[in-house]
Amino acid sequence: MYGEGAARTAALRGIDLTIYRGQFVLVVGSSGSGKSTLLNMIGLLDRPTSGRIVIDGSDAASLGDSRVSEFRNRKLGFVFQFSNLLADLTVVENVMLPMLMAGRAGGRARRRAAALLGAVGLEKQAGRRADRISGGQAQRAAIARGLANGPAIVLADEPTGNLDSVTAAATVRLMKSMAARMGLTFVVVTHDRHQFGEVDRVITIKDGRAFEEEGGAPA
Amino acid sequence: MGYRTGLAGRMLLNKRGSLAAAVLAVMVGILVLHVNFVIFQGLFDAIVRDLTDYEFGDISITDENDYIERSDSALAAWLERVPHVEAAAPRLSGSAEINLTKNGQRFEESRVPIVGVDPVRDVRASTIHLTVDEGQYVFSRNSMVVGGAVARDLGGVQVGDSVKVRVVDRWGQDQERRFIVSGLARAPGEQGFDYRVAVHIESLRDMMGRPGATGSMMVKLSDPGMAAEVRDHFLAAFPNDDFEAQTIEEAAEQQLAGFRSGIAMINMIGYFGMMSSAFAIVTIQTMLVNGKTREIGIMRAIGARRRDVLVIFIIQGMIIGAAGAGAGTAAGLGYTVYAKETKMSFAGSIPLEVSYDWAKIGQTALAAFALAVAASLYPSYKATRLLPVEAMRNA
Repeated sequence: MYGEGAARTAALRGIDLTIYRGQFVLVVGSSGSGKSTLLNMIGLLDRPTSGRIVIDGSDAASLGDSRVSEFRNRKLGFVFQFSNLLADLTVVENVMLPMLMAGRAGGRARRRAAALLGAVGLEKQAGRRADRISGGQAQRAAIARGLANGPAIVLADEPTGNLDSVTAAATVRLMKSMAARMGLTFVVVTHDRHQFGEVDRVITIKDGRAFEEEGGAPA
Repeated sequence: MGYRTGLAGRMLLNKRGSLAAAVLAVMVGILVLHVNFVIFQGLFDAIVRDLTDYEFGDISITDENDYIERSDSALAAWLERVPHVEAAAPRLSGSAEINLTKNGQRFEESRVPIVGVDPVRDVRASTIHLTVDEGQYVFSRNSMVVGGAVARDLGGVQVGDSVKVRVVDRWGQDQERRFIVSGLARAPGEQGFDYRVAVHIESLRDMMGRPGATGSMMVKLSDPGMAAEVRDHFLAAFPNDDFEAQTIEEAAEQQLAGFRSGIAMINMIGYFGMMSSAFAIVTIQTMLVNGKTREIGIMRAIGARRRDVLVIFIIQGMIIGAAGAGAGTAAGLGYTVYAKETKMSFAGSIPLEVSYDWAKIGQTALAAFALAVAASLYPSYKATRLLPVEAMRNA
């Protein structure tokens, strides 16, 4: 629920959704339907007015702020529409950051970050400042950062929304190949369902309610 | 601290303008305090120095009955055997009427302070002879040093002039004697003999009808820090006399008390200046936080706790404080060195007695650092209150 008094609005209502491990899930819907709110709820960036969010067996929504931060750091990976890398840091430092926040030693974090950047084809950009690379490269770096701590779920909010069609297609291919190769769970919010081709599951959000369109529980 | 320190430093370095402004604010705050200290404490110490060197010594011995009747030679010899005492010299003070006829014109000055000195002992216990910039110090019973201001009032007395001095003796009779001006004394800040004349102490004793009498005994120490101990030792050695012995702080209390409160007030103004620096830091840090809203949102989203964000911005405050305190202290020390090496004075006045008070320098730097960190607390706290989604959405 957002707002106060008469302006109080329910962004999502009656959502009862289970995301299964290893699935590549698309969340689609028109603008203002509540799909980003749903993603923010799953990502613990927003808290539901009522209800539970269970991730990896833990009721994450009931945790205190500090524990929620730790939970986000260790269990969730984020890819935002505008890559949202820290411009003050280099590409490799951006990828290292979640690991350093988790208490991993600098050397180990750097090695893993280098490996992840290699996996997304950015090894040559590792030492460049994050604001000196192209949008597509930044989005690939953001994917590498999202995978840094081996998350239970990677949440992507319009990850191709700010990219040209060629770069967007390459980013989609990268996400799908990483998901397949690493057995990751991806929840992707998009307004362009066709860009993603075959996926495990598509959930449509309309007026704050979720409708299963394709897929569902794995066989 | 680890990544937080690196991130804080990097974020700050990429906002060089804000960093420079904040560092400058702290630096100026410290510099103002240093300049205040150099000037006002320097002036205070210079006055103490001149009062010590010219008038009181490190210890001033007087008698409750106006005059010390003991033999000055015996007393000085006794004192000079006491550890830490370098020299002791008798002084006798009075008031005189001086007249001079020059080129057929008669000049007369009344109530001129006159000081009797023992030239041999005085040059060891005092540096007032160094203020004689023309001619030489008192060297015989009929020689006289005239202060610059007195010389001017007497129509421009010159070395070699003969002046007539009249003193009222202890029985109320006028005693007149001629003296030859051997030197003219001018001290920067006019703390020396500028408004006085000096003659041989025996001549003044004769004129005042007080043979062997001494007004005060100035005692110079090799270690002025031992003044209180030497004073107590002296008083204990003469329990049956009516001696009074005072350190320079006690002897010159009247002259120094007003100055002390002035220094305290100036220091307070300096600290208010530093408070202004703190407000500048609050403003700049708030700007930094507002300019980093998106970054704070991202950091929170990928797992930074509120505490981590708080620490990052407090570290920025610490960096600003350390850089500002370092730069301010360096600039302040630079100014202090300059003032000391050039023997800084204002408009030919008393040269400042510049000293390095390391405890105060450290204390000022620490206070500035602490103030910078304290000033960063509110903006840092504000940064922690940002919700990740809101921060990224509103950036």
